[in-house]
Amino acid sequence: MSIFDIWLGILQGLDVTAKVTGYGLLFAVPFALIFGVAQYLAKGAVLFAVTAIIEFWRSSAVIILLFVFYYALPVVGLMLSAITVSAMVLGLNIGGYASQAVRAGLQSLDRGQKEAGQALGLSRSMILLLVELPQALVAMSPTFVNHFIQLVKATALVSLVTLTDMTFRAKEIAQIEYNPVGIYTSLLLAYFVVCYPIAILGRWLEARISSGRELARGL
Amino acid sequence: MGFDFAFAISTVPTILGAIGTTLLVALISCLGAAGIGFGFEMLRRSGGLSGYAVRFLIDFIRATPVLAWLYFLYFVLPFYGVRLGALTVGILGLSVYFSGYLAEVFKAGIDAIPKGQQEASRAVGLSRLDTIIFIIAPQMLRNIAAPLGNYFVSILKATPYLAVLAVPEMLGQAFDIASETYRYAEPLTVAGILFLILALAISQAVKRVETRLLGSTRR
Repeated sequence: MSIFDIWLGILQGLDVTAKVTGYGLLFAVPFALIFGVAQYLAKGAVLFAVTAIIEFWRSSAVIILLFVFYYALPVVGLMLSAITVSAMVLGLNIGGYASQAVRAGLQSLDRGQKEAGQALGLSRSMILLLVELPQALVAMSPTFVNHFIQLVKATALVSLVTLTDMTFRAKEIAQIEYNPVGIYTSLLLAYFVVCYPIAILGRWLEARISSGRELARGL
Repeated sequence: MGFDFAFAISTVPTILGAIGTTLLVALISCLGAAGIGFGFEMLRRSGGLSGYAVRFLIDFIRATPVLAWLYFLYFVLPFYGVRLGALTVGILGLSVYFSGYLAEVFKAGIDAIPKGQQEASRAVGLSRLDTIIFIIAPQMLRNIAAPLGNYFVSILKATPYLAVLAVPEMLGQAFDIASETYRYAEPLTVAGILFLILALAISQAVKRVETRLLGSTRR
Protein backbone atom coordinates (compact mmCIF):
# COMPACT_ATOMS: atom_id res chain seq x y z
CA MET A 1 0.00 0.00 0.00
CA SER A 2 1.52 3.30 -1.06
CA ILE A 3 1.27 6.48 0.99
CA PHE A 4 -1.19 7.66 -1.65
CA ASP A 5 -3.51 4.70 -0.94
CA ILE A 6 -3.25 5.44 2.79
CA TRP A 7 -4.28 9.03 2.11
CA LEU A 8 -7.24 7.93 -0.01
CA GLY A 9 -8.29 5.47 2.67
CA ILE A 10 -8.21 8.11 5.42
CA LEU A 11 -10.03 10.64 3.26
CA GLN A 12 -12.90 8.16 2.85
CA GLY A 13 -13.68 9.04 6.45
CA LEU A 14 -13.85 12.77 5.73
CA ASP A 15 -17.59 12.66 5.01
CA VAL A 16 -18.37 11.22 8.47
CA THR A 17 -16.02 13.76 10.09
CA ALA A 18 -17.83 16.54 8.18
CA LYS A 19 -21.27 15.15 8.99
CA VAL A 20 -20.62 14.91 12.72
CA THR A 21 -19.18 18.45 12.66
CA GLY A 22 -22.21 19.77 10.76
CA TYR A 23 -24.80 18.04 12.92
CA GLY A 24 -22.79 19.05 15.99
CA LEU A 25 -23.17 22.70 14.96
CA LEU A 26 -26.96 22.21 14.91
CA PHE A 27 -26.69 21.54 18.65
CA ALA A 28 -23.82 23.89 19.48
CA VAL A 29 -25.04 27.15 17.91
CA PRO A 30 -28.58 27.25 19.40
CA PHE A 31 -27.27 26.07 22.77
CA ALA A 32 -24.54 28.73 22.87
CA LEU A 33 -26.93 31.53 21.85
CA ILE A 34 -29.86 30.58 24.09
CA PHE A 35 -27.88 29.70 27.18
CA GLY A 36 -25.33 32.48 26.75
CA VAL A 37 -28.11 35.08 26.51
CA ALA A 38 -30.05 33.40 29.34
CA GLN A 39 -27.03 33.51 31.62
CA TYR A 40 -26.62 37.19 30.80
CA LEU A 41 -30.27 38.12 31.46
CA ALA A 42 -31.48 35.64 34.08
CA LYS A 43 -31.53 36.16 37.83
CA GLY A 44 -32.08 34.02 40.91
CA ALA A 45 -33.27 30.44 40.49
CA VAL A 46 -33.37 30.62 36.67
CA LEU A 47 -29.76 31.81 36.57
CA PHE A 48 -28.78 28.92 38.84
CA ALA A 49 -30.55 26.38 36.60
CA VAL A 50 -29.03 27.83 33.42
CA THR A 51 -25.54 27.87 34.95
CA ALA A 52 -25.95 24.28 36.17
CA ILE A 53 -26.86 23.05 32.68
CA ILE A 54 -23.96 24.94 31.08
CA GLU A 55 -21.51 23.64 33.67
CA PHE A 56 -22.72 20.07 33.15
CA TRP A 57 -21.87 20.18 29.45
CA ARG A 58 -18.74 22.27 29.82
CA SER A 59 -17.08 20.81 32.90
CA SER A 60 -17.48 17.14 32.07
CA ALA A 61 -14.82 15.34 30.04
CA VAL A 62 -16.30 15.07 26.55
CA ILE A 63 -14.99 11.53 26.01
CA ILE A 64 -16.74 10.30 29.17
CA LEU A 65 -19.95 12.13 28.22
CA LEU A 66 -19.91 10.44 24.83
CA PHE A 67 -19.58 6.97 26.33
CA VAL A 68 -22.16 7.65 29.06
CA PHE A 69 -24.79 8.78 26.57
CA TYR A 70 -23.86 6.10 24.04
CA TYR A 71 -24.23 3.26 26.56
CA ALA A 72 -26.69 4.64 29.12
CA LEU A 73 -29.43 6.12 26.91
CA PRO A 74 -30.47 2.71 25.43
CA VAL A 75 -30.70 1.30 28.98
CA VAL A 76 -33.32 3.90 29.90
CA GLY A 77 -35.16 3.14 26.67
CA LEU A 78 -33.88 5.97 24.45
CA MET A 79 -32.55 4.56 21.18
CA LEU A 80 -30.54 7.08 19.19
CA SER A 81 -28.12 6.41 16.36
CA ALA A 82 -24.40 6.69 17.08
CA ILE A 83 -24.17 9.76 14.87
CA THR A 84 -27.03 11.55 16.68
CA VAL A 85 -25.55 10.83 20.11
CA SER A 86 -22.09 11.94 18.94
CA ALA A 87 -23.37 15.15 17.36
CA MET A 88 -25.41 15.94 20.46
CA VAL A 89 -22.64 15.32 22.98
CA LEU A 90 -19.85 17.01 21.00
CA GLY A 91 -22.17 19.85 19.98
CA LEU A 92 -23.48 20.61 23.45
CA ASN A 93 -19.98 20.36 24.94
CA ILE A 94 -18.61 22.95 22.50
CA GLY A 95 -21.88 24.89 22.80
CA GLY A 96 -21.24 25.08 26.55
CA TYR A 97 -17.84 26.66 25.93
CA ALA A 98 -19.22 29.01 23.29
CA SER A 99 -22.08 30.10 25.57
CA GLN A 100 -19.43 31.58 27.86
CA ALA A 101 -18.08 33.61 24.95
CA VAL A 102 -21.61 34.84 24.14
CA ARG A 103 -22.17 35.88 27.76
CA ALA A 104 -18.74 37.49 28.10
CA GLY A 105 -19.28 39.34 24.82
CA LEU A 106 -22.59 40.73 26.05
CA GLN A 107 -21.18 41.67 29.45
CA SER A 108 -18.22 43.52 28.00
CA LEU A 109 -20.41 45.92 26.01
CA ASP A 110 -20.56 49.49 27.18
CA ARG A 111 -23.65 50.19 29.31
CA GLY A 112 -24.34 53.20 27.13
CA GLN A 113 -25.37 50.85 24.32
CA LYS A 114 -28.29 49.49 26.28
CA GLU A 115 -29.20 52.91 27.63
CA ALA A 116 -29.18 54.43 24.15
CA GLY A 117 -31.53 51.67 23.04
CA GLN A 118 -33.85 52.45 25.94
CA ALA A 119 -33.70 56.16 25.13
CA LEU A 120 -34.85 55.33 21.58
CA GLY A 121 -37.81 53.47 23.04
CA LEU A 122 -36.72 49.97 21.97
CA SER A 123 -38.09 47.04 23.96
CA ARG A 124 -35.65 44.87 25.95
CA SER A 125 -35.76 42.08 23.36
CA MET A 126 -35.20 44.57 20.52
CA ILE A 127 -32.20 46.05 22.33
CA LEU A 128 -30.81 42.54 22.68
CA LEU A 129 -31.44 41.56 19.05
CA LEU A 130 -30.56 44.82 17.31
CA VAL A 131 -27.98 46.45 19.57
CA GLU A 132 -26.27 44.03 21.94
CA LEU A 133 -26.07 40.65 20.17
CA PRO A 134 -24.67 41.89 16.84
CA GLN A 135 -21.81 43.69 18.57
CA ALA A 136 -21.11 40.86 21.01
CA LEU A 137 -21.11 38.17 18.31
CA VAL A 138 -18.78 40.14 16.03
CA ALA A 139 -16.39 40.89 18.89
CA MET A 140 -16.33 37.21 19.87
CA SER A 141 -16.11 35.75 16.35
CA PRO A 142 -12.41 34.74 16.63
CA THR A 143 -13.30 32.79 19.78
CA PHE A 144 -16.14 31.04 17.95
CA VAL A 145 -13.74 30.07 15.17
CA ASN A 146 -11.45 28.50 17.79
CA HIS A 147 -14.36 26.59 19.26
CA PHE A 148 -15.28 25.38 15.78
CA ILE A 149 -11.75 23.99 15.36
CA GLN A 150 -12.10 22.27 18.73
CA LEU A 151 -15.34 20.71 17.48
CA VAL A 152 -13.71 19.38 14.30
CA LYS A 153 -10.87 17.91 16.35
CA ALA A 154 -13.26 16.41 18.90
CA THR A 155 -14.98 14.44 16.13
CA ALA A 156 -11.99 12.07 16.21
CA LEU A 157 -13.74 10.64 19.28
CA VAL A 158 -16.60 9.20 17.23
CA SER A 159 -14.18 6.55 15.96
CA LEU A 160 -14.58 5.03 19.44
CA VAL A 161 -18.33 4.55 18.99
CA THR A 162 -18.00 2.68 15.65
CA LEU A 163 -18.46 5.66 13.30
CA THR A 164 -16.16 5.44 10.27
CA ASP A 165 -14.52 8.86 10.42
CA MET A 166 -10.92 9.64 9.42
CA THR A 167 -9.47 8.30 12.68
CA PHE A 168 -11.50 5.09 12.34
CA ARG A 169 -10.24 4.62 8.75
CA ALA A 170 -6.65 5.09 9.88
CA LYS A 171 -7.04 2.39 12.52
CA GLU A 172 -8.68 0.12 9.96
CA ILE A 173 -5.76 0.56 7.57
CA ALA A 174 -3.36 -0.06 10.45
CA GLN A 175 -4.91 -3.49 10.91
CA ILE A 176 -4.14 -4.66 7.39
CA GLU A 177 -0.85 -2.85 6.86
CA TYR A 178 2.10 -2.44 9.23
CA ASN A 179 3.14 1.12 8.50
CA PRO A 180 2.48 3.11 11.70
CA VAL A 181 4.65 6.05 10.65
CA GLY A 182 2.94 6.50 7.29
CA ILE A 183 -0.59 5.93 8.58
CA TYR A 184 -0.55 8.06 11.73
CA THR A 185 1.49 10.87 10.16
CA SER A 186 -1.10 10.94 7.37
CA LEU A 187 -3.89 11.03 9.95
CA LEU A 188 -2.35 14.05 11.73
CA LEU A 189 -1.78 15.74 8.36
CA ALA A 190 -5.39 15.09 7.31
CA TYR A 191 -6.71 16.96 10.35
CA PHE A 192 -4.11 19.70 9.84
CA VAL A 193 -5.26 20.22 6.25
CA VAL A 194 -8.85 20.60 7.46
CA CYS A 195 -8.24 22.75 10.54
CA TYR A 196 -5.34 25.00 9.60
CA PRO A 197 -7.21 27.09 6.99
CA ILE A 198 -9.93 27.67 9.60
CA ALA A 199 -7.28 28.81 12.08
CA ILE A 200 -5.94 31.28 9.49
CA LEU A 201 -9.48 32.60 9.01
CA GLY A 202 -9.70 33.08 12.79
CA ARG A 203 -6.44 35.06 12.84
CA TRP A 204 -7.61 37.23 9.96
CA LEU A 205 -10.86 37.97 11.80
CA GLU A 206 -8.96 38.81 14.96
CA ALA A 207 -6.65 41.20 13.13
CA ARG A 208 -9.60 42.91 11.42
CA ILE A 209 -11.55 43.29 14.63
CA SER A 210 -8.65 44.68 16.64
CA SER A 211 -7.75 47.14 13.85
CA GLY A 212 -11.40 48.21 13.81
CA ARG A 213 -11.22 48.76 17.55
CA GLU A 214 -8.12 50.93 17.23
CA LEU A 215 -9.84 52.95 14.54
CA ALA A 216 -12.86 53.47 16.79
CA ARG A 217 -10.61 54.57 19.64
CA GLY A 218 -8.88 57.09 17.40
CA LEU A 219 -12.14 58.78 16.41
CA MET B 1 -32.69 -4.49 31.49
CA GLY B 2 -32.99 -1.21 33.41
CA PHE B 3 -30.40 0.85 35.21
CA ASP B 4 -29.21 -1.16 38.24
CA PHE B 5 -28.57 1.39 41.01
CA ALA B 6 -27.20 -1.15 43.51
CA PHE B 7 -24.66 -2.33 40.92
CA ALA B 8 -23.82 1.28 40.04
CA ILE B 9 -23.05 2.07 43.69
CA SER B 10 -20.93 -1.07 43.99
CA THR B 11 -18.64 0.28 41.24
CA VAL B 12 -17.98 3.57 43.06
CA PRO B 13 -15.00 2.44 45.21
CA THR B 14 -13.07 0.95 42.26
CA ILE B 15 -13.57 4.00 40.04
CA LEU B 16 -12.91 6.39 42.93
CA GLY B 17 -9.69 4.46 43.59
CA ALA B 18 -8.37 5.64 40.21
CA ILE B 19 -8.67 9.31 41.15
CA GLY B 20 -5.02 9.28 42.21
CA THR B 21 -3.90 8.09 38.76
CA THR B 22 -6.11 10.70 37.09
CA LEU B 23 -4.68 13.54 39.18
CA LEU B 24 -1.11 12.30 38.82
CA VAL B 25 -1.43 12.06 35.04
CA ALA B 26 -2.92 15.57 34.92
CA LEU B 27 -0.18 17.04 37.13
CA ILE B 28 2.79 15.45 35.33
CA SER B 29 1.28 16.22 31.91
CA CYS B 30 0.76 19.83 32.94
CA LEU B 31 4.38 20.14 34.06
CA GLY B 32 5.54 18.42 30.87
CA ALA B 33 3.37 20.64 28.69
CA ALA B 34 4.61 23.75 30.52
CA GLY B 35 8.25 22.64 30.08
CA ILE B 36 7.90 21.89 26.37
CA GLY B 37 5.70 24.94 25.83
CA PHE B 38 8.25 27.24 27.48
CA GLY B 39 11.04 25.71 25.37
CA PHE B 40 8.92 26.27 22.23
CA GLU B 41 8.30 29.88 23.15
CA MET B 42 12.00 30.56 23.83
CA LEU B 43 12.93 29.01 20.46
CA ARG B 44 10.19 30.98 18.72
CA ARG B 45 11.52 34.19 20.25
CA SER B 46 15.08 33.43 19.22
CA GLY B 47 13.89 33.69 15.60
CA GLY B 48 15.81 32.22 12.69
CA LEU B 49 15.15 28.84 11.14
CA SER B 50 14.38 27.02 14.40
CA GLY B 51 11.98 29.83 15.27
CA TYR B 52 10.04 29.23 12.06
CA ALA B 53 10.09 25.46 12.55
CA VAL B 54 8.70 25.82 16.06
CA ARG B 55 6.08 28.26 14.88
CA PHE B 56 4.87 25.70 12.36
CA LEU B 57 4.99 22.90 14.93
CA ILE B 58 2.81 24.90 17.36
CA ASP B 59 0.28 25.59 14.60
CA PHE B 60 0.38 21.93 13.62
CA ILE B 61 -0.25 20.71 17.16
CA ARG B 62 -3.15 23.13 17.59
CA ALA B 63 -4.78 21.91 14.36
CA THR B 64 -4.71 18.18 15.22
CA PRO B 65 -6.76 16.11 17.70
CA VAL B 66 -5.26 14.80 20.94
CA LEU B 67 -6.59 11.32 20.13
CA ALA B 68 -4.57 11.25 16.90
CA TRP B 69 -1.45 12.29 18.86
CA LEU B 70 -1.96 9.49 21.38
CA TYR B 71 -2.27 6.90 18.57
CA PHE B 72 0.68 8.43 16.76
CA LEU B 73 3.03 8.19 19.76
CA TYR B 74 1.66 4.82 20.89
CA PHE B 75 2.25 3.13 17.54
CA VAL B 76 5.14 5.11 16.03
CA LEU B 77 7.57 5.14 18.97
CA PRO B 78 7.87 1.30 19.12
CA PHE B 79 8.52 1.33 15.37
CA TYR B 80 11.72 3.24 16.12
CA GLY B 81 12.53 0.88 19.00
CA VAL B 82 11.35 3.22 21.76
CA ARG B 83 9.31 1.01 24.07
CA LEU B 84 7.43 2.92 26.75
CA GLY B 85 4.51 1.90 28.94
CA ALA B 86 1.00 3.07 28.04
CA LEU B 87 0.98 5.46 31.02
CA THR B 88 4.22 7.13 29.88
CA VAL B 89 3.02 7.38 26.28
CA GLY B 90 -0.25 8.89 27.51
CA ILE B 91 1.50 11.52 29.64
CA LEU B 92 3.87 12.27 26.76
CA GLY B 93 0.91 12.63 24.38
CA LEU B 94 -0.94 15.06 26.64
CA SER B 95 2.30 17.00 27.25
CA VAL B 96 3.01 17.38 23.53
CA TYR B 97 -0.59 18.27 22.68
CA PHE B 98 -1.00 20.92 25.38
CA SER B 99 2.52 22.35 24.89
CA GLY B 100 1.17 24.01 21.73
CA TYR B 101 -1.41 25.85 23.82
CA LEU B 102 0.91 26.65 26.72
CA ALA B 103 3.47 28.18 24.34
CA GLU B 104 0.77 30.77 23.54
CA VAL B 105 0.22 31.31 27.27
CA PHE B 106 3.93 32.01 27.77
CA LYS B 107 3.94 34.29 24.75
CA ALA B 108 1.08 36.36 26.13
CA GLY B 109 2.69 36.36 29.59
CA ILE B 110 5.97 37.70 28.24
CA ASP B 111 4.37 40.14 25.80
CA ALA B 112 2.43 41.70 28.69
CA ILE B 113 5.69 42.78 30.39
CA PRO B 114 6.52 46.36 29.38
CA LYS B 115 9.51 46.63 27.03
CA GLY B 116 11.07 49.21 29.34
CA GLN B 117 11.81 46.42 31.82
CA GLN B 118 14.25 44.79 29.39
CA GLU B 119 15.78 48.07 28.38
CA ALA B 120 16.22 49.08 32.02
CA SER B 121 17.92 45.74 32.75
CA ARG B 122 20.32 46.33 29.91
CA ALA B 123 20.93 49.88 31.09
CA VAL B 124 21.96 48.71 34.55
CA GLY B 125 24.24 46.10 32.96
CA LEU B 126 22.42 42.83 33.68
CA SER B 127 23.33 39.90 31.45
CA ARG B 128 20.69 38.32 29.18
CA LEU B 129 20.35 35.30 31.47
CA ASP B 130 20.09 37.45 34.60
CA THR B 131 17.43 39.54 32.88
CA ILE B 132 15.39 36.43 32.15
CA ILE B 133 15.79 34.94 35.63
CA PHE B 134 15.42 38.04 37.81
CA ILE B 135 13.33 40.46 35.73
CA ILE B 136 11.25 38.60 33.14
CA ALA B 137 10.49 35.26 34.81
CA PRO B 138 8.97 36.56 38.07
CA GLN B 139 6.65 38.93 36.23
CA MET B 140 5.80 36.30 33.63
CA LEU B 141 4.87 33.77 36.33
CA ARG B 142 2.34 36.17 37.76
CA ASN B 143 0.89 36.82 34.30
CA ILE B 144 0.55 33.15 33.39
CA ALA B 145 -0.76 31.81 36.72
CA ALA B 146 -4.42 32.22 35.81
CA PRO B 147 -4.33 30.77 32.26
CA LEU B 148 -2.02 27.99 33.46
CA GLY B 149 -4.62 27.04 36.07
CA ASN B 150 -7.31 26.94 33.39
CA TYR B 151 -5.15 24.71 31.21
CA PHE B 152 -4.57 22.40 34.19
CA VAL B 153 -8.34 21.91 34.27
CA SER B 154 -8.35 21.30 30.48
CA ILE B 155 -5.57 18.73 30.85
CA LEU B 156 -7.49 17.07 33.69
CA LYS B 157 -10.49 16.81 31.38
CA ALA B 158 -8.30 15.19 28.71
CA THR B 159 -6.91 12.47 31.02
CA PRO B 160 -9.80 10.03 30.23
CA TYR B 161 -8.42 9.89 26.67
CA LEU B 162 -5.75 7.62 28.13
CA ALA B 163 -8.42 4.95 28.54
CA VAL B 164 -8.00 4.21 24.81
CA LEU B 165 -4.44 3.11 25.65
CA ALA B 166 -5.84 1.00 28.54
CA VAL B 167 -4.33 3.22 31.24
CA PRO B 168 -6.26 2.52 34.47
CA GLU B 169 -7.45 6.06 35.20
CA MET B 170 -11.13 6.66 36.06
CA LEU B 171 -12.64 5.94 32.64
CA GLY B 172 -10.25 3.02 32.12
CA GLN B 173 -11.37 1.47 35.41
CA ALA B 174 -15.01 1.93 34.42
CA PHE B 175 -14.32 0.09 31.15
CA ASP B 176 -12.54 -2.70 33.05
CA ILE B 177 -15.65 -3.23 35.17
CA ALA B 178 -17.84 -3.02 32.07
CA SER B 179 -15.94 -5.67 30.16
CA GLU B 180 -15.94 -8.02 33.16
CA THR B 181 -19.66 -7.69 33.86
CA TYR B 182 -20.99 -6.86 30.37
CA ARG B 183 -22.82 -3.90 31.93
CA TYR B 184 -21.63 -0.60 30.47
CA ALA B 185 -24.25 1.96 31.51
CA GLU B 186 -23.68 1.80 35.28
CA PRO B 187 -19.86 2.03 35.59
CA LEU B 188 -19.66 4.67 32.84
CA THR B 189 -22.38 6.81 34.43
CA VAL B 190 -20.61 6.54 37.79
CA ALA B 191 -17.32 7.55 36.14
CA GLY B 192 -19.11 10.49 34.50
CA ILE B 193 -20.61 11.75 37.76
CA LEU B 194 -17.44 11.30 39.81
CA PHE B 195 -15.35 12.96 37.14
CA LEU B 196 -17.72 15.91 36.88
CA ILE B 197 -17.52 16.45 40.66
CA LEU B 198 -13.72 16.23 40.53
CA ALA B 199 -13.46 18.67 37.61
CA LEU B 200 -15.83 21.17 39.25
CA ALA B 201 -13.93 20.97 42.54
CA ILE B 202 -10.55 21.49 40.88
CA SER B 203 -11.77 24.38 38.74
CA GLN B 204 -13.26 26.05 41.84
CA ALA B 205 -9.91 25.65 43.60
CA VAL B 206 -8.12 27.13 40.59
CA LYS B 207 -10.53 30.07 40.56
CA ARG B 208 -9.89 30.71 44.25
CA VAL B 209 -6.12 30.74 43.78
CA GLU B 210 -6.62 33.03 40.79
CA THR B 211 -8.63 35.67 42.69
CA ARG B 212 -6.13 35.59 45.54
CA LEU B 213 -3.23 36.14 43.12
CA LEU B 214 -5.04 38.94 41.34
CA GLY B 215 -5.98 40.53 44.63
CA SER B 216 -2.41 40.59 45.88
CA THR B 217 -0.93 42.09 42.74
CA ARG B 218 -3.51 44.64 41.68
CA ARG B 219 -1.88 48.00 41.40
